[in-house]
Amino acid sequence: MTFLVTQSIKISMNIFWLIMMLASMLVLLIVNPSAMLSEMIGASTEALELCIELCAVYVVWLGFIELIDASGLSKKLAKLLRPLIKRIFKIDNEETEKLIALNISANMLGVGNAATPMGIRAMQALDDKTGKANFAMIMLVVINATSIQLLPTTVIGLRASAGSENPADIILPTLIVTVITTIMGILLVHGIEKLRQKLKGRKKK
Amino acid sequence: MSAYILPILFILLFLYCIYKRINTYDYFVKGAKGAIKLVVDIFPFIASIMIAVALLRVSGITTWLTQILSPIFNTLGVPPELTELVLLRPFTGSGSYALLEDVIASYGADSYITRCACVIMGCSETIFYVATVYLSQTKVKKLLYAIPVALLCSIVGTILACLLCRVM
Repeated sequence: MTFLVTQSIKISMNIFWLIMMLASMLVLLIVNPSAMLSEMIGASTEALELCIELCAVYVVWLGFIELIDASGLSKKLAKLLRPLIKRIFKIDNEETEKLIALNISANMLGVGNAATPMGIRAMQALDDKTGKANFAMIMLVVINATSIQLLPTTVIGLRASAGSENPADIILPTLIVTVITTIMGILLVHGIEKLRQKLKGRKKK
Repeated sequence: MSAYILPILFILLFLYCIYKRINTYDYFVKGAKGAIKLVVDIFPFIASIMIAVALLRVSGITTWLTQILSPIFNTLGVPPELTELVLLRPFTGSGSYALLEDVIASYGADSYITRCACVIMGCSETIFYVATVYLSQTKVKKLLYAIPVALLCSIVGTILACLLCRVM
């Protein structure tokens, strides 16, 4: 079990992407070779369109975030969340705590697009240039993946436009599930980190 | 109700800036300047993952995986109709929202399956997208156990979501 935890789950994006690409290209070679290139270019066109859309979204959000920062609100928010962030991420750096506080708040409000730029900046601040993700970075990925959502705005909007009688009745179950999975994620990351420290200690002996 | 929250927060922010005597225009422009650079930086990462997902779908691997995983999901209490949604959710936001719209259109906005799909969408994230984009501007090559833990939480969340929708 410990071997499993430390060795076999060292998934890197490089291997993962390679497997996805190679497997689908091999199948496509047999099934539909002519679709391969056009499909790739199609996907990258889609990515470009998405990025143009994202650029417009980021202009608005980064503008607002600068206002939040300049007015001192982000500092206040960070101060409020500081005890929690310090405990969960085991960091002690005001600037990084501020970025993480903004990232988590944006996720809670259901505006993931506003959370992204803050998440990227937080990761840059946390990076220790060793090439490996450290504890706080892993925690940030996991917390973003399970993101506590107070308001699943997009989903409610979709249901409302489809004529649902009570489109907001999914808020409570969503909240319960995200709270549970977020706590589970935090505990798991802390647990695995402890296990790794123990193993490291044993190796040194 | 929820439609009012963001607009009210925006207005409060502006009022607070006036109170603090901050030139809102100057700072908004300063912040907005970063948008294009950010998008240029993350575009190759988004494109690479979208290319991989597009190939997975067109090669039929996802349909094949859906067929294999459906019975497993079914025993876990996840409706087999949602297998593809659960499978694609970690990779693509736009793709999974398109699937959610399909589910809503074919099963009705208030059916059990639609509600399950909605809660699943609300409590999960595009894990691979988040991981690559967030880490794209760092030197990190090895994510260690971040993705397995995130995926595990997601699966537990999915099962819980379907369970809760039965009783709530």
